[in-house]
Amino acid sequence: MTNHKPEAKSRSDEAAEGPDGGWSWPLVGALFVSTSLVFGLMRSLGVFFVEFVQYFEESAQAISWISSTGLAAQQFFSPLGAALCNAYDTRVVVMTGGFLAGLGFILASQATCLVHLYLSMGLISGLGWGLVFTPMVATVVANITRRRALALGLGFSSIGIVSFIFNPLFQFLVETYAWRGALLILGGLSLNIVPCGALIRPQRRPKAPEKVDSESRPSCAEVLQRVASYVELPLLMERPYLTYTSAVTLLNVGYFVPYFHLVAHSRQAGFSDYQSAFVMSAAGATDILGRVASGWFSDLGKFRLLHLLTLWTGLAGVFIMLLPVSSVFGSYAALMVISLLYGFCSGAMTSLVFAVVPMIVGVERVMGALGLLQLIESGAGLLGTPLSGLLKDVTGNYIASFMVAGGFVVLGTLTMTTLPHYFSCTDPPSPRRRSHDDNDKSLHFELEQISRSPSDAGHRGVQ
Amino acid sequence: MKLLWAVSALLLCCWRASASTAPNIITEPSEVVNQTSAVLSCNLTESSLPIKGSHWMHNGKLVDSSMSTDATPYTTLRLDKITHSSSGKYECVFMTDPEVKQTIEVKTLPHVSTHKHSEHGNENDKGVMVCDSHGYPLPTDWTWVKEVDGIQTPIINGTSDKYEIKSTPNKTTLTINDLSINTDIGDYICFGTNELGTSHDKIHLRVRSRLAALWPFLGIVAEVIILVAIIFIYEKRRKPDEVTDDDDSGAAPLKSNSNANHKDKNVRQRNSN
Repeated sequence: MTNHKPEAKSRSDEAAEGPDGGWSWPLVGALFVSTSLVFGLMRSLGVFFVEFVQYFEESAQAISWISSTGLAAQQFFSPLGAALCNAYDTRVVVMTGGFLAGLGFILASQATCLVHLYLSMGLISGLGWGLVFTPMVATVVANITRRRALALGLGFSSIGIVSFIFNPLFQFLVETYAWRGALLILGGLSLNIVPCGALIRPQRRPKAPEKVDSESRPSCAEVLQRVASYVELPLLMERPYLTYTSAVTLLNVGYFVPYFHLVAHSRQAGFSDYQSAFVMSAAGATDILGRVASGWFSDLGKFRLLHLLTLWTGLAGVFIMLLPVSSVFGSYAALMVISLLYGFCSGAMTSLVFAVVPMIVGVERVMGALGLLQLIESGAGLLGTPLSGLLKDVTGNYIASFMVAGGFVVLGTLTMTTLPHYFSCTDPPSPRRRSHDDNDKSLHFELEQISRSPSDAGHRGVQ
Repeated sequence: MKLLWAVSALLLCCWRASASTAPNIITEPSEVVNQTSAVLSCNLTESSLPIKGSHWMHNGKLVDSSMSTDATPYTTLRLDKITHSSSGKYECVFMTDPEVKQTIEVKTLPHVSTHKHSEHGNENDKGVMVCDSHGYPLPTDWTWVKEVDGIQTPIINGTSDKYEIKSTPNKTTLTINDLSINTDIGDYICFGTNELGTSHDKIHLRVRSRLAALWPFLGIVAEVIILVAIIFIYEKRRKPDEVTDDDDSGAAPLKSNSNANHKDKNVRQRNSN
């Protein structure tokens, strides 16, 4: 027995520890590519919307529903993706998701009416994206421990980098091949998610229910219970997870507001179109920098990830509130500086938001936790932008919108401070799932050791 | 009888006199044709009415700089550079009671232009090319010509289903149905003619093949399949190594250094101890 334990531990060490495991950094590359093909693509579809408005002769609002449907589908189907990964093989799920995402665009290229676009580009591609994003992030989080935040930061930096490439590329594709041909090629590009999924190693299934039912048909309640366990529904009963989810939801209400309204606000404050657009691009550049820098810095282990996260979110909230103040005084330099700082902080916080989750729920529940998190925070996105638009319509300028947005972010930060053991200097041991199975117990023990290691490193760093 | 004649002559004279005291504007020149610059002048004669001022109107809109409150019966407007945008109908208006005005027409060659010099159309779809014109007077005649290798062939409306030309004085539209890559690629020139002459502009039509996008798409799909195949094959190659790993670690005791391949594993095991 004693012989087996350390060997089993070394085996899972080899599988789980980041820098040593040769297979883990290609995973970061896979995350980079798949994130860019999911969110980077979603952000650059504006070129097509101009074409759609002209071809289908519909209003811009009707066309913008396409991307809203896609984003909503991605977030809605995240728990489904997580559950399928828990039930079956992650690799198969991600590859299927990539295939669906590509299929959606290929079908969209044959669309003859707007509803076709909603169903193909919106629903099918959104479903594919939902099956890809959460499993990829969860896999990276589970497989890399020492450099987790850096890996996530590198992976998410793709969104910013790729948007510089995709916008002119899509413009070129639309001009050369017309929007139908361009969508077809985009479908092919999206299919590149499939090799990214193939990079995930086929897993042993520690989470599959061990006892085989002797009866041929499981009862309805059992099926429901199994599904609930795959989706990690019991997580919603745990206070730490619930606290964290509400904090992230509050963050999301305010987080997107500057991206939507900063350009319009700058123009209203009296700056030229070119200056306003440049502010946005500069904020985007510092966003990329923030993601990578914060990921690298967090992994040095000098501070707890949670403390760093609250630092960045608090700063981001403060800077959002300062944004209208700086432009009200008409100083372009002040607006630029605050936007750069805001970009850095918001990028810094995105690479940490997901890295903190395993500390709260334990590594093996990360998949379901992320799925539920995506679903719940989607509501915030739906609330935040219309609310800020409404405030602008009511008050006539953007000051109230930014203030409220910054307020929500700060509120989210404060909520995060109510997490248990927040004020301790080291991470508490992350919870492990209660299981009646011996095999699971030993595996959990090892995984707990692994998830403890960053706090050990932190401890050493503090000393 | 003589009295009747005298009275009627007097009335006639009065009437004629009142007619001859109606204000008359003498314009110089009476119209401007194809000149690069001009000075328009209006001279109000034979008017006893008080003049409160004068101004000029261009195509019904006031020329701001011409507003004057001088009581002179003479006003000029200087046009330094006459282009299609400054052509049109100019009116000098004298602020008498009632107002009197006279029109001078400034005519130039039509300015024919197109918004898109390069048009795209899809194969078997239709291609639409539009030319419009600004200036005065607007073209009365529009013609389209197709130019291939320097040879111009006129396009006549109505001869076949392929070409449709719709023209209004300020815009002309050429629609080509059922585009074909072999015959329809080339330059199309629109000519607009008014009483002074003709101007033209050129549009280049490109026909996109229906299957043009298919080749890059198939290329990308092939690349995806190759990548997935490489990954799977690499894994199959590695798997036998991993299987032997498990067997060895199960059998060999903890501190054994015998197998050089598992050097890393042993190092890790020592660290974990």
